[in-house]
Amino acid sequence: MPVNAEKEITKLWRNLHNAQSEICKTFYRWREVAIEVAGPDVKPLDIALKAAEMMGKDMGKNFLPRLNWLKGEETFMMNLGRALAGIWVTEGGTAMAEKGENPGEIFIRCTRCPWPTAAKEFGVPMEEVALTRERLFQTILEDVNVFFNINLKIEMLKAIPRGEGEYLLKLYKEE
Amino acid sequence: MAKVLFEWDYSSYPGAKAYPNLFKPIQMGNLMVPNRIKYAATEDNLNDHNGFITDADVAYMRSRAEGVVGGLCFMQGVYMDEAGKGQGYVGQAACWDDKYVEGLKRIADAIHGEKAIAGFQLMDCGRVGAVEVESGHGPSTVPQRLRIFKPMYEMTNAEVKEMVQQHVDAAKRGVEAGFDVMEISGIVGYLISNFVSSYTNRRTDEYGGDIRGRCQAMVEIIQGVKEVCGPDIPVGIRLCSEELLNDVKGNTPEESMETYKIAEEAGADYISCTLGWQESIFPVISRDIPQGNWLYLAKRAKENVKIPIQMAYRLFTPDKPDKAVADGGLDIWEICRSMIADPLMPKKVLEGREDEIRHCVACNLCLARLFRDAPMTCYINPRCAHEHDENFTPKPAEEEKEIMIVGAGPAGMECAYVAAQRGHEVHVYDKRGEVGGTLLDASRAPYGDEELMTCVNYQKTMCEKAGVQFHFNNEVTDELIADEMPDTVVLATGPVYPVIEDSEDRDDVVNVLDVLSGKAQVGETVVVWGNRKPGIGVALFLAKQGKKVTIVGKEKSAGFDINPSFKWRYMIYLKQNGVMAYNDCDIEELNDGEIIVKTYDGYRFPVKCDTVVVSEREANESLKKIVQAEGIELFVIGDALVPRNLSSAVHDGYRIGLRI
Ligand SMILES: Cc1cc2nc3c(=O)[nH]c(=O)nc-3n(C[C@H](O)[C@H](O)[C@H](O)COP(=O)(O)O)c2cc1C
Ligand code: SF4
Repeated sequence: MPVNAEKEITKLWRNLHNAQSEICKTFYRWREVAIEVAGPDVKPLDIALKAAEMMGKDMGKNFLPRLNWLKGEETFMMNLGRALAGIWVTEGGTAMAEKGENPGEIFIRCTRCPWPTAAKEFGVPMEEVALTRERLFQTILEDVNVFFNINLKIEMLKAIPRGEGEYLLKLYKEE
Repeated sequence: MAKVLFEWDYSSYPGAKAYPNLFKPIQMGNLMVPNRIKYAATEDNLNDHNGFITDADVAYMRSRAEGVVGGLCFMQGVYMDEAGKGQGYVGQAACWDDKYVEGLKRIADAIHGEKAIAGFQLMDCGRVGAVEVESGHGPSTVPQRLRIFKPMYEMTNAEVKEMVQQHVDAAKRGVEAGFDVMEISGIVGYLISNFVSSYTNRRTDEYGGDIRGRCQAMVEIIQGVKEVCGPDIPVGIRLCSEELLNDVKGNTPEESMETYKIAEEAGADYISCTLGWQESIFPVISRDIPQGNWLYLAKRAKENVKIPIQMAYRLFTPDKPDKAVADGGLDIWEICRSMIADPLMPKKVLEGREDEIRHCVACNLCLARLFRDAPMTCYINPRCAHEHDENFTPKPAEEEKEIMIVGAGPAGMECAYVAAQRGHEVHVYDKRGEVGGTLLDASRAPYGDEELMTCVNYQKTMCEKAGVQFHFNNEVTDELIADEMPDTVVLATGPVYPVIEDSEDRDDVVNVLDVLSGKAQVGETVVVWGNRKPGIGVALFLAKQGKKVTIVGKEKSAGFDINPSFKWRYMIYLKQNGVMAYNDCDIEELNDGEIIVKTYDGYRFPVKCDTVVVSEREANESLKKIVQAEGIELFVIGDALVPRNLSSAVHDGYRIGLRI
C-alpha cells in the first residue's frame, strides 16, 4: 500500500500537538493538587516557584553531559542558549538563541508560548507564568555554573504573559 | 641489599628468551621484583556487602597470582571509611576496622602461596563512591555529570585530615595482613584524583588552590603511609598522566606531570601511569582504541621522574611492553583485563604457550557490571569469578561419549574442547572449510572487531590439543546423523535469517554475512534490517565505504545488546558516519528502490534504498527433529538456540561442554 505522506504527517503532527498541550495541562493539574495539599496558608505563587526550582535542578543535570568547554566560551554560551530555547520548542513554543549586543551575552527569544493559554484554562495569574519560567531557567543554571566554575546569570527582559508580545531573556556572564 | 621475597629463575623458559626485558628483575624501593609483570588492582564485586573477603575473591586472586609468575599481584582497592562514602562498589573489600585484617590476610596468603608479591591498594572512590549511601564526599561540591553517581558534598578541613588518617590506618592493617607493597589509587575520578584536579577541587584552604595545594592531601597520604610501611614495603601511587577532562577545565598534561614530580618528592617508590576519568568524553580502553596507543604517556612520565613507571591500558600482548622496557619507556607491564580474560596469561607467555591465551576483546562488560552492582563476569571467559566453584571446573566425564558437534563457530568450538578435555570423543562438523562460523565474517566489521577472532584462534588451539576431530566442508544432514548415530549431538549451527515477504528472488536483498565477506553486491543507498550489533557492524562497514546507510530495527534502541560501557562508542560512530537508525520499527513493504518503514505505533514512511541487508536473526530449528526422533541426547547452543552475541555463544558452549 503506497504511503500517503500528507495523511501520515497530519497524524503525527496532531499527536505531537496533543502531547505538547498535555505538558502544560499536567503541570497545572499538579499545581491544583499541590495547592490543596499545602492548604490555605501557602501562597500558590510560592508553590509554583518551588516546582520551578525542583524541575530546573533536574533539567540542569540533563544539560551537564552535553555541554563542552573545549570549543570556547562563546560557543559554550550559544549552545547553552540553544538548549534553553529547546525546552520551549519541546513544549510547543517557537524559540531561538541569538548573539547578544555585547560579548559574553546571548538572547533567548520566544515568540510563541503554549503556557499562557493553558494557564488561562486553570485560572493561573499571568505574572505567575512569567516568574515561573524565569525561576526555572535560573535554577537550571545553578548546577551548570558550579560544574564549569563560571558565573552565568539569566534575566527576563520581556514576557508574553505580561502583554509584551514575546519573551526575551538575557543570558550573560557576571564578571 | 634489596629484599628478595621469592627466588625465581626464568632462564630456561622460552618466554624469557622471546621477551627478555619482561623477565628481568627491577628494584622498587627496597624490594627486588623478579620480573616486570603486575596484575593491576581490579575490583570484582565478589566480596560481601559488609566488605568482608569471600572464598570467591580468594580463589579469583589465587589464580591471578599464579599468572604473574613471581611478579606483582594486587588485590582490589579497599575503602577505608565506616560511613561508606568511599565505597564505590557493593562488593568492594573494606578496611576501616581491624576486623577486616583476617580476611585480607587470606588474600595475601593466597598470593604468597603462588610465590608472587602481594600488593595492597587503598581506594576511596570519591566521586564514584557512596554506592550504598545517599551522598559522597569530595574536595568541593561539584555536581555529577553522570546521573548514576551520587551527589557530592565538600569535605571540611577536619574531614580531609580524617580521610588522610584513614589511609594511614588502612595501610597499617594491610601491612598486618601480610602485604608486601602498598599502593594508593588516584585514578579515574576516585578521591585522590578529585583533590588533584582543577575540575573538582575549588577549595581555598591548604588542600586547594594551585597544583601544589591540590596535591597536599596526596602528599600527606604518601608520607603517612610510608611511615607505617617502613623501609622494606614500597609505597606507590596510581596517578593520571592525562585526565582527558579539557571540556570541563580539568588539569593540563603539564599539571599532571607536576603531580608525578610532587608524588616522587613526597617519597613514592613508583608511579602507575593511568589516564582518563569515568567522566571523560574520550575513550581509553575500548576495542576501538589500538593496542599500545597510550605507551607514549609512560615514556613521558619516565622523562619527568626517576622512580619506576608502570602502565596498563590496552597492552594485551607481551611484544609492545617488552620493547617499551627495552627502549626505556616503561619499567613494569601492568595487566588488568587480559588477566580477567585469562588469569594465566603471563605464565603462558613465559612457558611459550601464547597460542593458548584467551585474549580479552576489550568489550568492557566487566566494568559495566560493576556499575550495575553485579559480580564480575567476563564476556569471553566463562570461568571468571567462578574459580571457587566446583561446578565450573572441568572434571573427567562419568561416561565417555561420542559427540557430534554441528558448527565450528565459537559456541561449538568452546563446547568441543571442554568436552574433549573431559574424555569424550568429539567430532566437529562444519559446511565451511575452516573454523570460526559466522564470526569469520562478523569480525570484518570496523572499529577493532578483528580482535574477536582471537577467541576462535584460542579455541582452535585448545581443540587440537584436546584431540577434537574436525570434518570440514561437510554439511550435516539427517542421513549423516542417522548413519553416525553418535551418543550426543550438539547443534551449534548459528542463526537463520528471516526472509522479507516476496524477496526470495530479488538480488537487491542480501545477507549480512555475504556483505561482510564481499560476496554480495551492494548499492550506494542501503537499508540494514536489524538494529542489534550485527546490524550496527555491517552498517558501519558500508558507511565507511561511503555508502548512505539507514538502519531499521525492532529493538527500542540500536545496539541494545552491546553493554553500556561500549555502546556509547558505537552511537558516536553511527553519528560520525551519517548512519540514521529507525528503532522500534520494521520493514512493512519492499518496493522498487524503496522500503516502507512502519513504526511500532503505526506510522508509515518510505526510505529510499538500492539494497536491503538482512541482519535480523532467528533461532535455527534444523536437524532437531531427526536427533530427537533417533533418541539421541540433544543440546542446542549459541545463536542456534537464541540469537545473541559472542559471549553467549562461548558461555553456552562452555556450560554444555561441562555437562555432557
Ligand atoms: C573490572 C575492572 C575493575 C578495576 N578495578 C580497579 C581498582 O580496584 N583499582 C584500580 O586502581 N584500578 C582498577 N581498574 C583499572 C585497571 O587496573 C587498569 O588500570 C585498566 O583496566 C586498564 O588496563 P587494561 O587495559 O589492562 O585493562 C579496574 C579495571 C577494570 C576493568
Ligand atoms: S569482560 Fe570484556 S573487557 Fe572485560 S576482561 Fe572480559 S573480554 Fe575483556
